[in-house]
Amino acid sequence: MKEITLTIDGQPVSVASGASVLDAAKALGIEVPSICSHPDLPAYGACRMCVVEIESVRGFPTACTTPAADGMVVRTESETLRRLRENTLELMMSGHPNACLVCDYRAVCEKHKPTPSKAGTSTRCGLCGNRSECDLRELVLSSPGRNLGLPTIYSRKKVERDDPFIERDHNLCILCGLCWRICDKIHGQPAISIVRRGKEARIAASFDRSWVDSGCTFCGACVDICPTGTISDRFAKWHGHPENKILSTCMLCPEGCAFHEMTENNRVVATRMTGFKPENRLCALGRFAYPQLLQDRHRLDRPLLRESGELVPVSQEEAMEALAAALDGFRDGSFLLLGNDTELRETKHLYRSLAGDVLHGKALFMAAGSGAEDLPEELADAIESGAIRAVLSAGNFLPTGLREHLDFLAVIDAFPSTLSASADVVLPASILAETTGTFRDAAGDVKGVGPALPAPEQARPEWHWVRDLAQRLGAEDWCRFRYAPEVTRTIGDDPAPAPLRTRPRDSVKDSLPTRFRGHFLADRVPALRAFGLPSTPAEETGADKRGFPIRRKEEIAPNFHSFLVEAPEIARYARPGQFIMLMASETSERVPFTLTDWDPEAGTILFIIEETGRSSRELCALRAGDRIAHVSGPLGAPLDLSGAGTIALAGGCYGIGAIYPFAKALHRAGKRVFVVLEASSHFLMYFEDELREFCEEIFFTTRDGSMGRKGAVHDVLVELLQSGDKRPDAMAAIGCTLMMQMATEATRPWSDVPLHVALNPIMIDGTGMCGACRVSVGGQTNFACVDGPFFNGHEVDWAELASRRGAFVQVEVEAMPQNGTLAAHPCRH
Amino acid sequence: MIEAPTANPTERIHDVCRRFGPDRENLIPALQEVQESEGFLSPEAVDVIAGYFSLSANNVYGVATFYAQFRYHPPGRHCLKICQGTACHVQGSGVLLDAAERSLGIRSGETTEDGDFGLEELACLGSCALAPAVVLDGVVHARQTPKKLNALLEKARS
Ligand code: SF4
Ligand code: SF4
Ligand code: SF4
Ligand code: FES
Repeated sequence: MKEITLTIDGQPVSVASGASVLDAAKALGIEVPSICSHPDLPAYGACRMCVVEIESVRGFPTACTTPAADGMVVRTESETLRRLRENTLELMMSGHPNACLVCDYRAVCEKHKPTPSKAGTSTRCGLCGNRSECDLRELVLSSPGRNLGLPTIYSRKKVERDDPFIERDHNLCILCGLCWRICDKIHGQPAISIVRRGKEARIAASFDRSWVDSGCTFCGACVDICPTGTISDRFAKWHGHPENKILSTCMLCPEGCAFHEMTENNRVVATRMTGFKPENRLCALGRFAYPQLLQDRHRLDRPLLRESGELVPVSQEEAMEALAAALDGFRDGSFLLLGNDTELRETKHLYRSLAGDVLHGKALFMAAGSGAEDLPEELADAIESGAIRAVLSAGNFLPTGLREHLDFLAVIDAFPSTLSASADVVLPASILAETTGTFRDAAGDVKGVGPALPAPEQARPEWHWVRDLAQRLGAEDWCRFRYAPEVTRTIGDDPAPAPLRTRPRDSVKDSLPTRFRGHFLADRVPALRAFGLPSTPAEETGADKRGFPIRRKEEIAPNFHSFLVEAPEIARYARPGQFIMLMASETSERVPFTLTDWDPEAGTILFIIEETGRSSRELCALRAGDRIAHVSGPLGAPLDLSGAGTIALAGGCYGIGAIYPFAKALHRAGKRVFVVLEASSHFLMYFEDELREFCEEIFFTTRDGSMGRKGAVHDVLVELLQSGDKRPDAMAAIGCTLMMQMATEATRPWSDVPLHVALNPIMIDGTGMCGACRVSVGGQTNFACVDGPFFNGHEVDWAELASRRGAFVQVEVEAMPQNGTLAAHPCRH
Repeated sequence: MIEAPTANPTERIHDVCRRFGPDRENLIPALQEVQESEGFLSPEAVDVIAGYFSLSANNVYGVATFYAQFRYHPPGRHCLKICQGTACHVQGSGVLLDAAERSLGIRSGETTEDGDFGLEELACLGSCALAPAVVLDGVVHARQTPKKLNALLEKARS
């Protein structure tokens, strides 16, 4: 191929013909800013960040779309180019929530909270799951001027959450086109494109259809390539940023696609294609259902044994002894093993040997997607006639009607079923990513699986159970199978699993296997119902009349939801400053929220929830008419500020709603009230009108200066303290710990004026039992939930609080299983 | 030569497409022709066109929506156009559009469910002296207010 030689920034470089100027610069190791270019895609020329100067070429061509030519002299850096790029970036960022990038407190804030909070809507970097790998943020932070002078226009486009698995927040989109272009490349035709133009332009399917009907196969390529947080994985975004990836094989169907398991804390939080080529594509199951199956709340996690009619948890030893003793009586051809066809070869091999060589019975591996009713008729007949009297089912593979004909039933499985509930012995199985070995796909190719990740509690790989069982049944030489490769070596030419008749990677319609190990996938991953996958009809429980009905729910600012809930007892006794503890469902965590308003007559309470973190996500998914399982309160000591004549109330984030009851009560009592509000940007302000009614004056501060003054509440508090006539004799600040801490530090010279801060963001339990909210105030130990939540900020040991937050809250709370209940809470031991 | 129109819309649209080569540069002319013959671009029409040009409906819709000239709803029996030119804009045509959207219960570019009214925006009517102006079924109405506009719609309806 012809070589081309050109000069970039004074250095000569040779590239193959057809290479772009950007490629040539890369070959020299020169970094030209670029957003819309991608090594797997042809140049697009949309972002205009890669502009360069080329001698005897007019204007500023984009390096990605300009072919390198012989003798070209290119400059990638100059004052003009820098200005051009900054202007481009400024324009791009004006429509993108950017408060964190211009915030004066960014460094201290990011130190305080090293990982972004998980939020329903990313309204700033601090709430964006994409933060650690955001190209845009990198460019802004590395741009020397970093003056994002244009006003932020937040277009408040509704976040699209109606599709399964994939969420879209068009407020973050920069229209780089990477998503639809990669879709086009992988699938031959894109399921999405940029529709409309100007400020209406956005990524969508034709006629704004649901992506389920657009031809989208839910391969997730667009999620992975999007340089902003616009397209996101609804499940993964509530976990941390994946820290590791494992190259493995999907065993949900006989296709056996290679993929990367993305892990955080040794759990799979997502899977990704191994590259952006058509052959790398995954189906919706492999890409999105897989992690959810592994993290299912109802996994079987300990051995169970039937004792006087009841299944009770027993040790592994006891379960194995009982199983071996029972099966010993069925070596006369009356034993049947039902296995899963898309399993590790090692597992299938040992199952086969156990059933044949050891027990002289039969083994059948049920094809991908099949269930109990697919059991061949002759086997059903054999069970009914008594020819088969004992079954070991490695999944939900036996019609429950046949159970009564059996003398003995054992189940090895990952999920409970009516079958396992009727078994004599149940063993918990490790599945998929929790196992290691080899997999033969439908085409006959052998692929690697693993290394294995931890399985829940006492679940073990199936071949481990089988090995130990066989040894107890006399096959002593099976003790040589310590590691998977020792089994692998003994496998001869094992048959490939039965192929699928459909192509799950080409469509989500009528092509995805409906079951895994005989369980409906949509029972475990309800989002799959959107593709028409069947599920077990919900039990008729009758309308649940327990819990607290939600009268009204509104998103009053992005991520801030106000709830009006019927809770007459709380409404009757509530006082300003008190909080409530909520549990969205019986199995949710308990979380504290400050009361905003209450109406004893109507029997209702109003509170505001910021949708950050998993518990609040659960609450915010509820709708008007739904019920909150538990609302307890009012809790905490009320704060009485009526001794003061002039009071300054400062609120940020959820605190804007939390200072409202003080303003209302104090203003009505004839006090002078000054309200100071803080938000990252103008579009996150709420309740201004409600508050204005109950104060002398209201001050706004924003981190990006888009409303009121640029800064934080403490700037205004200090001014008030310095003023003659507006000088408060009491203050309260409610918001995130950083905001309250900064307010404390700034007002320290006036420590004769108390600054009451609310320390409820650190609570877990709310009754003084768990100790998570222990704080040192004036040298004494207090519990925020019972002694607080309000303390004089000037007496709080903030350093200790920060380390407690870091050590206890992050680790303990985030590692708690999603269904963590109080009883299971570590602090109760 | 123009073929006789067939009764089946799919075939009709296909026939229109066939007057052009299946190359991408013919997409816009084909879209224009289909809109001309059908009055609007329906999801089915977009599917047929996409098939003909070996594109996905999403491609075609993306291209079409980049241009203001295409409609995606059948035209109404009455057509209300509201000028959004500079002069009209200054005189409050935005409020008029809002009012029309609210009283018809549709957004600009759509047609009411009963098929009575279609609503569109105009770039500039050239009747700036009459701002804010609307055009109802080809007739220009000057200096509109939401109230006058509602009366106009009421009259057209009966
Ligand atoms: S959604 Fe993401 S990848 Fe697609 S255009 Fe917007 S920013 Fe680019
Ligand atoms: S998930 Fe895959 S098929 Fe669906 S839009 Fe994204 S890239 Fe296209
Ligand atoms: S087609 Fe889907 S389920 Fe089957 S192996 Fe591939 S990713 Fe897994
Ligand atoms: S990278 Fe060249 S224009 Fe975007």
